Amino acid sequence: MAAPMGPDDIRQVLDAALDLPEADGVEVLMMHEWGGLTRFANSSIHQSTWREDTGLRVRVVKENRLGIAASNDFTKDGAARAAASALELASVAVPDPQFPGLAPPAEAPAAPDSFDEATANTSPGERAEAVASLVGEVGQGFRAAGAFETTAAEIALANTEGQFCYAPTTQATITTVVSGGDGGAGTAEEAHRRSADVDAVAVGRHAFQKARDSQRPQDLEPGRYEVVLEPLAVSTLVAFLSYMALGGKAIEEGRSALTGKAGEIVCASAVSIVDDASARGALGLPFDFEGTPRQRVAMIDHGVFRSGVYDRRSARMAGRESTGHALPPPNPDGPFPLNLTLEGGSASLDEMIAATERGLLVSRFHYSNVVHPIETVLTGMTRDGTWLIENGEITRPVKNLRFTQSILGALSDVELVGRDPVLVSEFFFSAALVPALKIAAFNFSGRSDH
Amino acid sequence: VTIDVARQAVEAARTSGASYADARVVSEEGESLTVRNQEMEGVDRSLSQGLGIRVLVDGYWGFAATARTEDAEIAATAALAVDIAKAASRLPMDPVRLAETEPVTATWETHLQEDPFLVDLDEKVALLMEASRLAQSVKGVAFAESMIDLYRRRTHFASSDGSAIQQTIVHSGGGIEVTAIGDGEMQRRSFPNSFRGHIRAAGYEHIRSLGLTQEAERIAGEAVALLRAPECPSDVTTLVLDSSQVILQMHESIGHPVELDRVLGMEEAYAGTSFLTPDDRGKLRYGSDKITVVADATLPGGLGTFGYDDEGVAAQRSVLIQDGIFQNFLSGRDTAPVIGQPSTGSMRADGWQSLPLIRMTNINLEPGDGTLAEIIGDTEDGLYLNTNQSWSIDDKRVNFQFGCEIAWRIEKGRLTQMYRNPNYTGITTEFWGSCDAVGGSEEWTVYGTPNCGKGQPGQVARVGHAAAPARFRNVQVGVR
Repeated sequence: MAAPMGPDDIRQVLDAALDLPEADGVEVLMMHEWGGLTRFANSSIHQSTWREDTGLRVRVVKENRLGIAASNDFTKDGAARAAASALELASVAVPDPQFPGLAPPAEAPAAPDSFDEATANTSPGERAEAVASLVGEVGQGFRAAGAFETTAAEIALANTEGQFCYAPTTQATITTVVSGGDGGAGTAEEAHRRSADVDAVAVGRHAFQKARDSQRPQDLEPGRYEVVLEPLAVSTLVAFLSYMALGGKAIEEGRSALTGKAGEIVCASAVSIVDDASARGALGLPFDFEGTPRQRVAMIDHGVFRSGVYDRRSARMAGRESTGHALPPPNPDGPFPLNLTLEGGSASLDEMIAATERGLLVSRFHYSNVVHPIETVLTGMTRDGTWLIENGEITRPVKNLRFTQSILGALSDVELVGRDPVLVSEFFFSAALVPALKIAAFNFSGRSDH
Repeated sequence: VTIDVARQAVEAARTSGASYADARVVSEEGESLTVRNQEMEGVDRSLSQGLGIRVLVDGYWGFAATARTEDAEIAATAALAVDIAKAASRLPMDPVRLAETEPVTATWETHLQEDPFLVDLDEKVALLMEASRLAQSVKGVAFAESMIDLYRRRTHFASSDGSAIQQTIVHSGGGIEVTAIGDGEMQRRSFPNSFRGHIRAAGYEHIRSLGLTQEAERIAGEAVALLRAPECPSDVTTLVLDSSQVILQMHESIGHPVELDRVLGMEEAYAGTSFLTPDDRGKLRYGSDKITVVADATLPGGLGTFGYDDEGVAAQRSVLIQDGIFQNFLSGRDTAPVIGQPSTGSMRADGWQSLPLIRMTNINLEPGDGTLAEIIGDTEDGLYLNTNQSWSIDDKRVNFQFGCEIAWRIEKGRLTQMYRNPNYTGITTEFWGSCDAVGGSEEWTVYGTPNCGKGQPGQVARVGHAAAPARFRNVQVGVR
């Protein structure tokens, strides 16, 4: 029942927010999102939902004072009310001496394949059928849990500088954890622009195979081990590195491990990390939430730190141009790379395992959190399949372990990079394209009972 | 009028084929102000309103939500919820049975003295600017932030059982966070609590009572001092936690494991499950005999305080752990019958667009005896940790690790050396089993956890906790 409104109809409403003569400048961000999620557990569909919402976020500037108001009343009157509210807030704010002005007109690159009508119109029955095909791959004595989500969105931004940009987008994501038997679990997931590209059968089969292979996990002493991290585990490290260290504001304020380190070696030479919303398979938007076209940013190039990502305010602090990485206002954490790629190498997963003398194969991490931001130390648990590797072969599944490890330390010890990067869906229009990694040493500081 | 929209949605769902339906019309307002080094980091207001319709068809759930409430949209959304429920029957499942509840017609609202949305913006900004200025006046401070967050949610609930409930819930919070940077270190101190301060179900009187300007310089001084403090040593020792850290310890290692949906596997793919089983009730030793934990949605001021949950079940107080023995789970109408119990009234959604899930109400550690000073005075050797900084726990809630902002050595009953980057780790039942002192009611504080994530699509709930400081023996600290 939901459908794209299109740029012309949207612009009429956004213009109602821009029509505020008392303001020095107005910016309005609009997000129209709709979609369904079919959630399953114990191999049954237990929570299925659908939602549609249209949100406006108006930023008003008056004498370098900023006020922001958000509303989901997507009407001309609603937009005008939000703008008036933002103006009232701006009137009590103190001037921001670092305010760089609103984004100037600039054309964002077209993303012709970003919206798939079939994905936007996926029915509850189609999602249920895909889930059933996934569950059908799960053997006797095992159970599947997970979710299949199909979403669509229109993002538009207009400001009084004359910038207007619009992008429709779709995404289909399926995730599962299969567990059962005598203890053990496996996980798999896929994320694509188009629901037709989702192979639910393959996801179910892969997760079941891992669950079957991780039965009766045994205790293992914590300590430093070689590791082979599968892409899901690598995505956790890369996402937290972005959060702690790669935003321009954190870098400029001295809160990042990479402050003052441009041009220095910070990782192994096998590691290159870029942010590129237009990369093949990426799920990114062509512009950021200030209306600046997104640039490809080579952040770590063969182990050498080159640059963080910037929005307009942090770019002004750094004396450079925005790279198009603003989050929606207010964004106290500053800019953020939403479309990371850790560039692939040449090793297969089997080759990484064969190159491991005594180490661990890790499927994914769970509930990770920052221990020390400037040292990029993270803690978290392994989950859904961890195995001991001895003399180049997987010998047995092990119970979950806690790691406490510096991310840059781990990336400095990378020995092999996988040749098959996988797109891992993260939050808020973001996804990371990451391969598996073999790392010479990784610190496991504790263990659990399962 | 709004309750009529909810009733209309229930009727539309019944017409479309639902055997049971409920609907919530929710309007949520927010106001958030942040000052950082005498600059406005953010000043924003938000308004989100819409309708969520939940239906049962042949024992399967369906849910659909829309921001628009025209007649045709209500009918179409109700029909879509029914279609979603029908599609769920593609895979077999034991049909959902709902625990009995009495139909209710009621109005409820948070008790508050001063509507926080009516207080002048100028006054709020002036308070934050002064707190930030005082903190920044301490030499060595890099960033001095002060913040206020206000929420008001109006919910109109109707169900095909005949309930019609209108609630208005107000949450107000504020705090300061001070950061010092130097020599490869970054240290932060927060007051009264981390992650945007101390938030309660209250009006602006709560903000006035926080003492932000009175404590700003002390907190700033600690942040700067931490830069020069030694690292917390690695040791197995006695640990005393302040109330705010006890509540997060309780949140992660008691509140979540006792959620019955996790126990039944319904959250397995995302947040995880639980080490508990239904057979553990009345048998499992969860902690020492000092540990009695209740879920109390009637506690004044708690973020989990309400009149009725989002299924229309009345707020209640239930014992989760009595003298260390596990007693009961948090449940909702669809999970409680699985273990033969009535609902504990714990179902909440984070807005109109979300399906109600089992959420913590106010999960409280009942007070023991004595003050924090007396507990420290009674400790020969150990560490006192204050204010949460980081948290992590496994998918069954067994192995945890927490970091705090600051620690002091306890020597012969006195606080001595300050340490930076303190953390500790343990196993849930061993840790609570090692508790040998819980502070008394004079130290018992109601805090909130405003960022509790759960569910798919993800929901963020504001939940409440109350606790006094507590002491634990033989804990691994200083994890490297």
